[in-house]
Amino acid sequence: MTDDREHYEAVVVGCGPGGAAAAAVLADNGVETLVLERGTEAGSKNVSGGLIYAEESAPYTIDDLYPGFREQASERPITEYHIHNVAGNKVKSYDITDLHDHDTEWSDAVLRRKMDSWLERRVHERTRETGGGVVTGVHVDGLIQEDGEVKGVTCEELDPIEADLVVAADGVNSELAREANLMDWEEPEEWFQGVKAVVDLPEGAVEDRFGIGADEGAAHLFSGDLFEGVRGGGFVYTNEDTLSVGTVFHLDSLVAEEAEPHELLDALLTHPMLAEYFDGEYDELEYSAKLVPDSKKVAHTSPHRGRLVLVGDAAGQMQAQGPIIKGMNHAVTAGALAAEAFVESRARKSRKAEPTAGELYERKLHEEGVMGKLRPKRYEVAAALGERDAVTNLTDRVLESPVGRFGIKAADSLGIIESAYSSPFMSMLMPDTKTPYVTLPTVIGEALGDRVTGENTIEPPALDDRIGDLTYDVGDPHIELLDESYAASGAAVSACPVSAQDFGGGCYRSETVKTNGHEERVVSLDTQPCVECGTCAVVADTDWNHPAGNKGVEYKQG
Amino acid sequence: MAVFDPNDFEISELGPKVKDVEDAGDLEEVLEREKEGKNRDAVKTLVQSRIDKLHDEDEDAIDYTELDPSEHTVAEMANLVRDVDDADALRGMLEREEAGEDRSTAKDRIQSRLDQLESSDDDGEEEEYVPPEEKYPDLDHPTADKQYVHGVDDGEYRDMWVYCETQQGELVDVSLEMLGKARQLMDDYNDQYDEEELVVAVLMGDDVEGHAEDCIAYGADLVVVHEDERMARFQHKAYSEVFCDVARGDGHPYGREDRSERDWHEYEEPRYVLFPATNNGRDLSAQVQAELDSGLASDCSGLYIEDTVISNPAKTGGEGKRQFERVLHMKRPDFSGFEYSTILCLDKPHRDFHPQGGSVIPGSFEIPEADAEREGEVVHSDLDAPDEWFRVDVQDYDTLEEGIDLTGYEVVIALGRGIGDDPTKGIELGLELRDAFEDAELGLSRGVITSSYSFDGHVEQYIGEDRQIGESGQVVEPDVYIAAGISGAIQHKVGMDESDVIIAINTEPDADIRDFSDYYVQGDLFEVLPRLTEAVESGELRLEEIAAGDD
Repeated sequence: MTDDREHYEAVVVGCGPGGAAAAAVLADNGVETLVLERGTEAGSKNVSGGLIYAEESAPYTIDDLYPGFREQASERPITEYHIHNVAGNKVKSYDITDLHDHDTEWSDAVLRRKMDSWLERRVHERTRETGGGVVTGVHVDGLIQEDGEVKGVTCEELDPIEADLVVAADGVNSELAREANLMDWEEPEEWFQGVKAVVDLPEGAVEDRFGIGADEGAAHLFSGDLFEGVRGGGFVYTNEDTLSVGTVFHLDSLVAEEAEPHELLDALLTHPMLAEYFDGEYDELEYSAKLVPDSKKVAHTSPHRGRLVLVGDAAGQMQAQGPIIKGMNHAVTAGALAAEAFVESRARKSRKAEPTAGELYERKLHEEGVMGKLRPKRYEVAAALGERDAVTNLTDRVLESPVGRFGIKAADSLGIIESAYSSPFMSMLMPDTKTPYVTLPTVIGEALGDRVTGENTIEPPALDDRIGDLTYDVGDPHIELLDESYAASGAAVSACPVSAQDFGGGCYRSETVKTNGHEERVVSLDTQPCVECGTCAVVADTDWNHPAGNKGVEYKQG
Repeated sequence: MAVFDPNDFEISELGPKVKDVEDAGDLEEVLEREKEGKNRDAVKTLVQSRIDKLHDEDEDAIDYTELDPSEHTVAEMANLVRDVDDADALRGMLEREEAGEDRSTAKDRIQSRLDQLESSDDDGEEEEYVPPEEKYPDLDHPTADKQYVHGVDDGEYRDMWVYCETQQGELVDVSLEMLGKARQLMDDYNDQYDEEELVVAVLMGDDVEGHAEDCIAYGADLVVVHEDERMARFQHKAYSEVFCDVARGDGHPYGREDRSERDWHEYEEPRYVLFPATNNGRDLSAQVQAELDSGLASDCSGLYIEDTVISNPAKTGGEGKRQFERVLHMKRPDFSGFEYSTILCLDKPHRDFHPQGGSVIPGSFEIPEADAEREGEVVHSDLDAPDEWFRVDVQDYDTLEEGIDLTGYEVVIALGRGIGDDPTKGIELGLELRDAFEDAELGLSRGVITSSYSFDGHVEQYIGEDRQIGESGQVVEPDVYIAAGISGAIQHKVGMDESDVIIAINTEPDADIRDFSDYYVQGDLFEVLPRLTEAVESGELRLEEIAAGDD
């Protein structure tokens, strides 16, 4: 019944920044564009650490495409950027605002519910003009494929819809990218996992406690020994009257250390350094979590198949290279370039068989420099050397030795460390080992740090209360545990941000089952507390899908 | 000026020039000049074909009264006669054909044109309506075999009929919802159109008459009851036949001959009819509406009656716009409720689409307040259903497990993941405590239900979502709630914190449940539950005492 299917020129799946950018360029070129969003409102499913950049070198920025964005959709502009090396309660801080400012037109802290829902309203206005619009509460769960070709999308709530262009802007756990075999969830070392708390502060406290003006904002990064040796770091970003406090770790490291993400977040929240931000009062508005692709490893170099193009997290376009953490800006550029490519290929079609929209999009990603940022050449060279265990151990031992510490002190007095941190080139070639994340900052903190004297008395909520506040209607279980043995899926018990060892109220729980006299350790799954981060899709053996439209977690902050 | 010298022109220019010439004689002249001049074959063909065409046109103008049929093939005759509007000329032609070649096919053509002219003469300007099956008997008519479809044209329709479904001897809620809506619609209708039309409830089955009073209390003016012990369960054939039989008026062209006169059905068919969009209601509605040769708006969630103006020529007979009065507007969700369409069931010329009918999604309308004072009439169907309608025999049936309803017990004992060390033993202990009370039942936390605990066969029956207490399970408010091995997450709390007395048993002194318990026993449920059971059984601990302790 092919003839009966709904048809749109373009279907955009997901109304985050990537989808919104694609929709804007499509609509402005008169392309009939339908945007499908699975949340009750755009942003209700979205989490980010919280900074969006407008790069000087980028062909598109979100405020170009959506004027008024900074005034109406974002929080504070980030005007200062610091990194703190922590060793016990000794901390050595560097001002890396120069790194932050490099190639930056502006950068704002954002909360995604507010930001994406604002975008959604604009997207709807723009796409409605073309005969399309935004439909929320629709879970796009697959592709129409005929004779191996992508023809459109299938949805849980609507009949299949055909399109000449399908933009998969459906996030890090893109079901479309996986159905098209462009992305997978196989290797933990290709992903980061972030958890975040949005913390309410009294009015005026942000300015007072961070020493900033009304139109200023601060970003602080933390690394060192406060995370039990897990590779990663923490951040604090200032919003209007709230703080985004989060931790981001390499997923393979979380799994190897059997660390509990919420406890690592608490380690940051309760560190004496943060005492001055809270002043003894702690009011957590929301706990959230997200998987983050490591673009160095997974940014797809050819993110398209037939009529399908991937943009943003769905294509692994998340640049997390040391203190450079940029994702949404790349999603915006990619979305707009994909739309541009479609419009161009359609215009050329009458002449002869030209490159497809996907091929043009791929070419543009390279020509506009996006791919170069996501997969820096320098990293690939450095990784070949730097990620070998022997080299890591050797560097770590040298750094920890008296000689190494002497070197650090000497380097600092010469200003080498600060300038190294401030160098985008250094950041882009940092290998994914303990050296830059743990060993080096710890050594710096110990050798050079000042003792923090404040006492942090706050008590973050326990995991069950955090989950309790996220209570929602999950509908039918959307994740199926394929192998319940502890060997196959046990890693999820710790790594899942809403599960923990010896905690019965989470998604994944460790259980000992006695059958016919022998005991077996297994895991069980309850998807009700699920925050849809996708961690278990990577670390456990599951059949992972998003819940139906309007079901599942609903973030109010994001 | 019409004659020109073709030698002055290229062939491409000559096409339009030649086409403008209307006189064959002029063209003959042009042709001559070409022959004398460049003598181009293409030009000669062009001019000659125009000459031939003009001659043909002349011939068309010939006098049909003198046309000799023998000069024409049958096919040519068929084309020729189509243009003839003079019946006498055709008769002449027919005579000459008979006198001449006397070809029967040619005579058929002439005769059929003659019939056409004469029949259209008979009824003046308007053409008589002929059903498509009769008009084009040679064509295949998939709808011609309408052995079950008996339509009415220009019939009289009244009242809103509501099929009131019963299940296991009870009126289902949607029947009451429809009666309430029908009452409201028909009250407005009678006001607006100054009519006195009724809400008619239809009850069919075995021992259903008892519901007639309820039907009246919820809005019916008239209840039609058909009792038949063979109809204890829904059966497609019998139910649809009976419904159609009662729905057809006494004088209905397809009605039963042996019907005794009914003073409550002096029209042909119901004006409107509503069915529940339940499994049985959908089944019945489709057959009944097809049998009555009308349409059906299935799964509706909104209804109103209004006049409407329609321009669709299929409905107006091509007269431009036409106002349809008293149209039942039936709103139904499309795209799973993302869009709504409004379905209208409208008569068209020579074929009525009545009753206007739909099926109604349960829960779409409120159940109205019952009015025991309302008056109404109950009438009975006199139909004696033939045995052949009951070819389907229900041999056996089963009722789906609905699960256990935990509300209404004096005591609920709920078990959580504290039973994890020995889940089967935990359930056994819970059951023993349950049995020690007079009126108690066993509940579970979500954590137990979604666990991978393996339970021994004899307690497995107690492990199911139907026993879950909390946000995604049941909400209970017993006199005494005993929560054993439950930490008290917010999702659990919302299912039980209205209980009068809450007793928590937990090994963790800082478990959340302690915050909203009246009694807290710190200890292992495997030790505490047996002692509690013993205390209850020995009378040492009495329910009234526990409850009194709350004061």
